[in-house]
Amino acid sequence: MSTPPSDWEVVIGLEVHVQLHTRAKVFASSPWGFGQEPNEQVDPVVLGLPGTLPVVNREAVEKSILFGLVVGASVPEHCSWDRKNYFYPDNPKNYQLTQKDFPVVVGGQVEIELPGASRNVMGEHKFIRIHHAHLEEDVGKLSHAGSGSLVDYNRAGVPLLEIVTEPDLRSSAEAEAFLRSLVAMITQAGVADCDMEKGQLRCDCNVSIRRRGTEKLGTRTETKNLNSISSVRDTVIYETARQIRELEAGRSITQETRGWNAELVRGYVLRDKEDAHDYRYFPDPDIPTLKISRETVTRLSALVPENLYDRQRRYIANLGLPYTAASVLVNDRALAEWFELAVAAHPANPSGIANLVANDLLRDLAASATAPVSLESCLIKPAQLAGLVKLTDEGVISKQQAKEVFTEMFTSGRDAAAIVDAKGLRQNSDTGELEKIVQEVIADPAVAKSIAEYRAGNEKAINALKGPIMKRTQGKANPVLIDQLLRKFLG
Amino acid sequence: MAEGFDIDHLAKLARLSLTAEEKALYSSQLNQILGHFEALAQADLPALSDDARVVDEAALRSDEPGPVLGSAAVTRLAPASRDGQISVPRVVDDES
Repeated sequence: MSTPPSDWEVVIGLEVHVQLHTRAKVFASSPWGFGQEPNEQVDPVVLGLPGTLPVVNREAVEKSILFGLVVGASVPEHCSWDRKNYFYPDNPKNYQLTQKDFPVVVGGQVEIELPGASRNVMGEHKFIRIHHAHLEEDVGKLSHAGSGSLVDYNRAGVPLLEIVTEPDLRSSAEAEAFLRSLVAMITQAGVADCDMEKGQLRCDCNVSIRRRGTEKLGTRTETKNLNSISSVRDTVIYETARQIRELEAGRSITQETRGWNAELVRGYVLRDKEDAHDYRYFPDPDIPTLKISRETVTRLSALVPENLYDRQRRYIANLGLPYTAASVLVNDRALAEWFELAVAAHPANPSGIANLVANDLLRDLAASATAPVSLESCLIKPAQLAGLVKLTDEGVISKQQAKEVFTEMFTSGRDAAAIVDAKGLRQNSDTGELEKIVQEVIADPAVAKSIAEYRAGNEKAINALKGPIMKRTQGKANPVLIDQLLRKFLG
Repeated sequence: MAEGFDIDHLAKLARLSLTAEEKALYSSQLNQILGHFEALAQADLPALSDDARVVDEAALRSDEPGPVLGSAAVTRLAPASRDGQISVPRVVDDES
């Protein structure tokens, strides 16, 4: 069940934390990456040792600005950092550097696509507004062992962009669609990798409910630290049902912070850290306000890729692609660009190319004997795939044969034409020679009955004549041509 | 001067358990510190432009990884450690 009963409306806002794609940390030069030994990616600045000063990483700022441009936000003239003070072992300095009043990104929106009635049908599109996004530092990682807890500061200081939406989402399906769309836009722009297995995207999920048709927002709960899209979806479903149950039983909703147990698929109240919300923010005295030049904004604007839904609309309207193929291609920028190179080499049949890319190519990339092959290391190149579609379009080989040639191209990287010649697949389109064979077959008394049936109006009877022709040409006759010739001679 | 803070609240936020004597002492010291800031605020200074604390992008660092301390050096800074990690009293935020 993904939708609440009709008289309740759920209102959802998300805070999405994304680790930006940089080599060094956001205020320190320490490197960072997943899977290192504990505390091996820590330097004095990360720990806030006496005498150290944070200096902001240019790449982290530019990736943040690029995100803003991707979602059509305004990039302010200035941004600045604040200290968020709290005592907790995940935080080596006793404060987290974040942006409270002057974030690097203000506004913007993300287009989402909801699931359609079936895989072949495009669902509804909506725009979800972004309130702002701020650039902060990630905190260390705690693990609990027996009577104590262990602290690893490798993650502390990793650049983290916190993207805060307006409360525009109205269902678990919308929350899921939003995150999928956001991840696609962020990864396609190279802002971040968003690898959820590596904790590179984490979400806080604010949920409240209200009677449909009312304006006033209900009391919300915040479920923290969700590390997968499915956990966000499940949290929304769970919280919606729980809040409806509470209100319908005459109780009220407590504004609280909650955790999520993904194994048990249930939420729980986080033990309230007393005065946890008294963070005593103040401007960080070590980091001056940053002026963002318009030249930088212009330069980064050139890096914004085509929006995936703009691309989808273009594929459907201009290239005549079916929705199914278009939606598969646009989710992966590299795949879409690969497809476009192939179309440039053979503009006559984009659908034929899309079909091979979205089905055969993706299947073979995923199913390679050793490990999935990446598009870059794939042996078959866009122009070669275009060549294959061209041969099919010209009737040199059949569509069935094209599949066989594709498989061969994928493993060898050879051109379609070379494989067709080597395998002797070229269809016979020599009209003079075929005419002779067709006439000989028609004269054979064995097919007289089929001819009579065809002449009596049974269209399908003509197929009985094609087999013998194919046999005499070792399957190389162009089927379109055979059909034309048979109708000519029998007509 | 009226106290602009609540010593009990500050002690709680700082996870400090203070005796009555300590509270009196620190309250008085904090008041002195705040008094200095008040004196500074009263001083007749030429107005600083808003740009005084603003830097341009030349002040940013390049994304070049630098040296790290190593886990042995990191854990030496803490009172207790285990397996390269800093060991602290159990902090609970899991389901309970």
